[in-house]
Amino acid sequence: MLDINQIVKTFNPGTITEKVALSGADLHLQEGDFVTIIGGNGAGKSTLLNAVAGVFSVDRGSIMIDGNDVTNLPEYRRATFLGRVFQDPMTGTAATMTIEENMALAMRRGEHRSPFRWGISSKEKKMYRDELARLGLGLEDRMSARVGLLSGGQRQALTLLMATLKKPKLLLLDEHTAALDPKTAAKVLHLTRDLVRDHHLTALMVTHNMKDALQYGNRIVMMHEGKVIVDVNRETKSMLRVEDLLAMFEHTSGAALDNDRMLLG
Amino acid sequence: MELVKLFNAFPGAISQGLVWGLMAIGVYITYRILDVADLTVDGSMATGGAVAAVMITSGIDPWVAVLCAFLVGLLAGLMTGLFHTAMGIPAILSGILTQLALYSINLRIMGGKANTAVNVSKYHVLITSRNVRALSLENPICLLLVLTAVLILALHFFFGTEYGCALRATGANQNMARAQGINTRFGTVVGLMLSNGIVSFSGAMLTQYQGFADVQMARGAIVIGLAAVIIGEVVFGKLFRSFWGKLICVSLGAVIYYLVMQIVLWLGLNTNDLKMLTALVVAVFLAVPYWKGLAVQKKIRKRGV
Amino acid sequence: MKKILSIIVALCMCLACISGTAAEDKNYTVGVLQLIQHVALDAATQGFVDALTEKLGADHVTFDIQNASGDSANCTTIANGFVSANVDLIMANATPALQACAAATVDIPILGTSVTDYATALDIDNWNGSTGLNISGTCDLAPMQGQADMLHELFPDAAKVGLLYCSAEPNSLYQVNVITEYLTAYGYECKPFAFADSNDLASVTQNACDECDVLYVPTDNTAASYTETIANVTIPAGKPVVAGEEGICKGCGVATLSISYYDLGYATGLMAYEVLVNGADVSTLPVETAPNAVKEYNADMCATLGITVPEDYVAIQ
Repeated sequence: MLDINQIVKTFNPGTITEKVALSGADLHLQEGDFVTIIGGNGAGKSTLLNAVAGVFSVDRGSIMIDGNDVTNLPEYRRATFLGRVFQDPMTGTAATMTIEENMALAMRRGEHRSPFRWGISSKEKKMYRDELARLGLGLEDRMSARVGLLSGGQRQALTLLMATLKKPKLLLLDEHTAALDPKTAAKVLHLTRDLVRDHHLTALMVTHNMKDALQYGNRIVMMHEGKVIVDVNRETKSMLRVEDLLAMFEHTSGAALDNDRMLLG
Repeated sequence: MELVKLFNAFPGAISQGLVWGLMAIGVYITYRILDVADLTVDGSMATGGAVAAVMITSGIDPWVAVLCAFLVGLLAGLMTGLFHTAMGIPAILSGILTQLALYSINLRIMGGKANTAVNVSKYHVLITSRNVRALSLENPICLLLVLTAVLILALHFFFGTEYGCALRATGANQNMARAQGINTRFGTVVGLMLSNGIVSFSGAMLTQYQGFADVQMARGAIVIGLAAVIIGEVVFGKLFRSFWGKLICVSLGAVIYYLVMQIVLWLGLNTNDLKMLTALVVAVFLAVPYWKGLAVQKKIRKRGV
Repeated sequence: MKKILSIIVALCMCLACISGTAAEDKNYTVGVLQLIQHVALDAATQGFVDALTEKLGADHVTFDIQNASGDSANCTTIANGFVSANVDLIMANATPALQACAAATVDIPILGTSVTDYATALDIDNWNGSTGLNISGTCDLAPMQGQADMLHELFPDAAKVGLLYCSAEPNSLYQVNVITEYLTAYGYECKPFAFADSNDLASVTQNACDECDVLYVPTDNTAASYTETIANVTIPAGKPVVAGEEGICKGCGVATLSISYYDLGYATGLMAYEVLVNGADVSTLPVETAPNAVKEYNADMCATLGITVPEDYVAIQ
């Protein structure tokens, strides 16, 4: 479903702030894979996701989604294949627009947007109401409220729903619970698991929480200095504990896992 | 300083306000919807005036002239849009560059002359300040109200369509818009074009209203446009929640702006201080939402502890 | 909201009707609309006020003097104020001011001043000296033939004359075109140099100095405001400037055949008296030109550039 082939990205080349963010990262996902990504500060986790999403173009290597070479496609064209949830709850939704308008925008991802067709139909409103109801946040009764009025958790749940409303080839989750309190974070993670399971989605989730990384998904990938260094499959993953992960990391990278936000338990 | 004189001046102020209200609606599209401060308008408003003046004085129907002014305005917006997106120049600077270029273009349109008169007695024009006190359909207020209503409805529908929603998303959150597959660069260009088309259209109306086009006629127009947007929001913001309602606020904001100007003149204040007064009035209206915010915070603090 | 608006509009219109029938007395109200704060325009306004006050007496005339601060939108607002106050006469100082007033009323007599070309400003075909509208006034067109003669008198050996003017000034291009005709008749080669504002003035002037032997600056409000900028280029380049009016000559020129804007305004004031008191028909009242022109020279500038002028030139104070 996703093939990342030896991609390289250097930011600000030739300047004092030059930074090699990706140095030949390689990752392949089968349909239905739910991969969690962990790694230290500046290991290139988010950069990898942004490279897939097309936020910037890579210097070398190629990216294929479901057999389509998207390496040279701009961000908005790749959106056809992708559902995305960001670390900052403000990023995924349009604050000045209503809940239903945001959903209608997501519903038309990858489709031609006509200047003659109405932006939202009453039929779809009913569908959105049902979808919102399953979040259990009471948003189904506030469909014409501006998203700016929602809490971070509510916005993140909505973004998640929007990302899966039109089934994406690949769901990109970039530390999407990092900005939430633990209780809300757990709720959003459960929702993530349910949505991925129900829609049979392929997903890539960056997290700084080792326990979450072990608990969710069927594969764990570790990154270090812009490369994938460890790739643990389903069978091995189910037997791992956090300590095993740390040991594995230190053994392979030759360095301690230095993530100041890393949650071990 | 009789009050009668002031009341007498109101129809004129209202129609002038309505003309500028059309312009302010154009500014609203960039400033509020696209979240871009577009300074092209100082040039494109004069462009509309120049196009209309030249066409009307060569005997072309004023409706055709106004339509052409709109189309030329689209091109002015396209220029700013391309400076911004294709050449990566910051939006404000792009607008300034186009504004600069339009000065020369406007002179070219008027055949090198800085000023073109449109004699109301000689040509058929849609509105003229001569009729502001007429009690008939000739009164410019009638046509201006109709045009404002048509423009607001058209924009209300456009921004309600799939593409219109995509444009609003582009202004609200570019990252989100791109993640939903919206071409934000193209959207920005479309928004700038639409905005300048409307501004140019209003310039064409202004030229007919005041009876001439001048290369300097819209110097500082952006200030009046922004003032109208902000005054409208502060004074009438609570009354309207819908999109069309907000556009009505903008138009009313421009009317209030000109009523205030007329009152200032009526009070007999020294006209040398006019610009300072304008700046102060706009600054106060800009500050109102901020002060309101501070007051709310104070209340919360008092209650919270 | 619309309802309230329409009520206001209706109310205003009723009041307009009432005030229209107000009885006339011997105290005349005169609205003066000046385009921008400017030495020449200020002088014209002053001349107008002085003339009318002298003629009518201070007790019989009230002036409402408004300045649009260079913003033509303000002109419309101010003109609207005059019309709604139903003044007895409007004096419009400079072209856009006149145009805004002309668009605002066909009833109240309007006198213009500091306007160079009424036919163009008001878009009148077949110009015959009067407008045929509710408009007359005075024209600030300098004696162009006289200025061409002067340039020839002072610089008979020059080959190329640069004509420096602001592209935003409605009247400047007109003057440039007129004088080109006269200068060409003398055998000069003429080239126009237009600048947009103070920002490109220096470089355009430099360009003109590089190419030409003598510069001519017409009666141009923008040039008049930035004479220092022009002088700073022309003096080092050693190129003389013949100016269209006194103010410009004082700042950067060597000589001018100048009209006085005060006299021009004064003449306008006398016309206003004719219209108000003696019932002259403004539509047939011929547009007047400046009363008299004086050959003047800038002594300092002439000394700097080593130019001597004939005896009949008066030094500018």
